[in-house]
This record gives sequence, structure tokens and C-alpha cells, in this order.
Amino acid sequence: MKFLVCTETRSGKIEAISLEMLAAARTIAAPGDEVVALVVGDSATDAAARLGAADRVIAAIAPALSVPTAEAYARIARDVMATEAPDLIVMPYSATGLDVAPELAARCELPIVAYVVRLDRGDDGVAATSQIYGGKVMAKTRITGPAIAMLNPGSFPEAAASQVAAGALASLDPTPLLSNLRVELLGEDQPDLAEIDIATAERIVCVGRGIGDEGSIEIARELAGLLGAEIAGSRPVVDNGWLPKLRQVGKSGRKVKPRLYLALGVSGAPEHLEGMSRSDLIIAVNTDPKAPIFGVAHYGATCDLFDLVAALNDRLRAPAGS
Amino acid sequence: MHILVVLRMVPAPATEFEILPEGLGLDREWMDFQLNDFDDQALEEAVLLKEASGARVTAVAIGEGANRVLQMAMARGADDAVLLSGDEEAGLASPAGLAAALLPLIEERKADLILTGVQSAEDLFGQLGPYLAGRLDWPHISGTSHLAVAGGGLTVAQERGNGVVARYRIALPAVLGVQTSTKAPRYVSGSKLREAAKAPIAKGPAVDSLPADGARLAMLSMPLAGEGAENLGNVAEHVADRIAHILAERGLRAG
Repeated sequence: MKFLVCTETRSGKIEAISLEMLAAARTIAAPGDEVVALVVGDSATDAAARLGAADRVIAAIAPALSVPTAEAYARIARDVMATEAPDLIVMPYSATGLDVAPELAARCELPIVAYVVRLDRGDDGVAATSQIYGGKVMAKTRITGPAIAMLNPGSFPEAAASQVAAGALASLDPTPLLSNLRVELLGEDQPDLAEIDIATAERIVCVGRGIGDEGSIEIARELAGLLGAEIAGSRPVVDNGWLPKLRQVGKSGRKVKPRLYLALGVSGAPEHLEGMSRSDLIIAVNTDPKAPIFGVAHYGATCDLFDLVAALNDRLRAPAGS
Repeated sequence: MHILVVLRMVPAPATEFEILPEGLGLDREWMDFQLNDFDDQALEEAVLLKEASGARVTAVAIGEGANRVLQMAMARGADDAVLLSGDEEAGLASPAGLAAALLPLIEERKADLILTGVQSAEDLFGQLGPYLAGRLDWPHISGTSHLAVAGGGLTVAQERGNGVVARYRIALPAVLGVQTSTKAPRYVSGSKLREAAKAPIAKGPAVDSLPADGARLAMLSMPLAGEGAENLGNVAEHVADRIAHILAERGLRAG
């Protein structure tokens, strides 16, 4: 089998998911198989230093590709797929990957499997295990021909970073592929972290959809105050405007790793877990015993959220040890 | 501008999932279905664009309860509604099947902007927006917010993770996978809903759930729930005692 791992770089730096995808390909690659990594960016220096887990690296480098648009990435990937004819194309479930992978599947008439958290290989081909319904159901798919697999970040350990072997890095001039682009990147806005950066918080109280309404955020805010914690929210809470965007945890928010993460009414969709699953201590409260958050929590409770927060606030107001 | 917005019914987040004995489908008998959250945002974005630029909005819906959702879409401001029929028992939606049904509709209605939610909980076989764009050979962006008409195209923001927001200009015709609408989805009154219920809903093509060649569903299963979590129980007072104790043990009590 030939694997094509479509890595992600940002301003020349290899993103962690790239090493996770290489590790994923290596878990099912047999002797004699080939793992090829594609790099699209404005420099191949970091890639050459770190993508040694690949047998070969193809680098499409141009100044305009510092933050490549999905449109540009997809054109380059198609060009490489036409030359290399890979059996399994591995892509990340990321902002770019989410746009590139299904487009390639449609254009190249390839099957695609998304939300993949595990790969296995048997005599009859590759089996991919995916999380669907926000992690509440697992789906196993059999892949018997050329296909695209989109990997969830954080599902595979990173492959060790090492130098790419001499002669194993080939350049591809992307310039001819980049004319008449229909999507133009105007600019990027970095978050204004001067006010609050929950990524550096030692303790976080995160409220999810289960909090019910905006008024109920107050009781959680009081708890956060008593704990010396920052209040944060899952995507639905922020989308509803109950908490500012800077306080969102997850795929499209901030990635956090506090000493304490208290999740109140958070179901724990994969996009949320991606942003907090490596916290030191996770305590989750959700009335649904099947909520996926309990899969990553160290402690879980299924009692009523409001009764619990009220009771906990009472105890925290009292001096410790009383 | 003619916007076609795709609305998909999906199991409600709190629904109980029961896997059928052969492991290839879900028991849909007692499941609650609701409009996919992101598609709701896409509908709002479509209506906001209509209000800002006079675009025409066609809402297309599929799934259990789609008829009611189309009436709601008209009450919120959609001009036309099309109901796609699908095999309710077919199981997981496939973007390939849905795209095949949408393509003739897009051509017939001369739509030049397709909006749908960035993802749905059952996108096992890929996300619809970019898949459809690939079939149409149209530019596309997913994970969008802050859509605005600018010159002959649109400007749009996209969340790139870790709080970074990218801003793009995109030419029409285009497909967008909406993450967050510029304003929260609007509430519609009962009287507006009753009024909208009188409007005709066109019947669209049937959607084939095409089994993907080369990648087939082999087995659905439940995750090993809560294998990591020690259960503190369901009595608030007890749980509060335990949590207070754990925090004290780990030096996490404030003060």
C-alpha cells in the first residue's frame, strides 16, 4: 500500500496533527509499504527536520502558501495524487482538512471516511473506526480500495520527529497550479489575549448546553470565583452569546490544559474534547450517563447541575477543613 | 443572488441511541429528530443576506420532520421550500447521495450560493458543503461566520482554531459551510408559522443513500462509556462533599 499523508504547516512550522497522521499511517503500514508526506507551505526547513517518519516527502513551497487556502491545498494534493496514485490519503479534521478532503473525494470519485480515531488492517483491507453523533456512537468502516481518511486530532500519538533521509525530499513547483484562484485570504486576526487567556488558566469551570439558559451562568460564575477559576464555555454557549468568544474551549476556541477542569452540562463532543482532554484533573457533571465527556473525565456525576453547584458553593464558602 | 440553503434533520443531542441487532443502523422508532444546529445557523445567514441584499432564498430539507422545518424556514423569511424524500430507514446520510439529488435542483433554480451547516453529527462519509462544491467545481469555505456581500462576491470569516480568525474574499457562485450566523437564529411567532403553513412546498428528487464503493459501514457500536471516570453518583449533596474533598486533597481549594 502507498499512503499519502497530507500534512499541515503554519508559517513554516509543522503542526502536531501532521506527526499524528504519520503515526496513524505507520500503525497499519506493512513492510514494503510506502508512507509519503505532502508538505504545502512557504518553507520546507521544519518539515525536513521533523518528518523523518515518512519514507518520502514532497514539498510544494511558495511564499503565497504561508497559510494555504483549502483551494490551493486541494489543487496541489490532486496533482500529487495523480502522480503518486496512493491507496490511502490521510488528512486531518482541521479547518483546512475539512474543506480539502471532501472536495477531493468528490472530484476524484473516492470514498471518504471522516472522524477517524483508529485504523486497523486485515487481509481484507483497512478498517477505520470513527466517532459519530458527537462521540455517542462508534462506526467501523471497511475500506477496500483507494480512499480518503480524515483523522480526528488527538486520536493518535505523535510520531517522533526526526530528520528526513538524504534524497528523500522532493520539491514540487506549485506556481502553475495557483493561477485563477477564486478564494483569497485577506488576513488573519489573532485573538486579543491581553484581557484573558484561558489557555494559561490553572483552573477552569466550563459550562455547556446543559446549563440551560444565560441566567444560570451566574451560579457557575460564582463557583468559578470561589475556586479561583476562569469561567469558560462550550461552543453552543458561546454561539448563544452567553459567554464571549475568548472563553470558548474546543476546536474553534482555545486549547486548554489546566490543573482543574470542571465541566458542567458539557456533553463532550469530539470538537470539545480536542481542546481539553489533556487537563490534569477533569470532573464532569451531566445528567446523561452516556455523555462522552465521562470518557475523558477522572470523576463524573449525574446529579442535577444546579443542586450540585449550590451545594458546592456552600462548601467552598466555608473555610477549608470546617 | 439566489441562495439555496440545505437543512438536514438529525437525531436530537439528548436522544437515546439504540443500535439495530445487525449493527448496521440505528433504531429510529423512538428517536427525536431536530434541525441540525449548524444548518439552523446557515438558514439564519441566508435570511440575513436576503435582508441585506435582496437575495432570493430557497430552503431544501430532508429527513424526519423536514416538512415542519420548511414551514419554519418560510416563516423566518425563505421564499421557496423544497422537500427531498429519502429512505428514512437508510441510516447514515451520505454527501454523495445528497449531492446527486441537489445538483439538478441547483441548476434548475439557478442558485449561485449554497449554504449549509459546516457539519452534521452523521458526516461519517464526509461533509456536504465541500463535497457538493467539488461536484459543482465551485469555490467553497467551511466553518464560516460574518458573511457579507462585497463587490461581485462575498467576504467571510473562518475560525481556524485557537482563537485565530481568517478573513477571505470568495467569488460567486460558491458553497459555504456555515458555523455561526451573524446574528442568533430568530424566533418566529405562532401566527407567522400558521401563515407559512399555507405556503406550498415543492417536492424535490428522491435521495439515494448510495453505498460508497470501497468504503462500507461494517458495524456500529457504543463507545466504552466513562471507562475513565470514577462515578461520584447522582445525589448532589454527596457529590458536592466528594468534589470538595478531592479539591482539598489536591490543593485546589481557593484561598
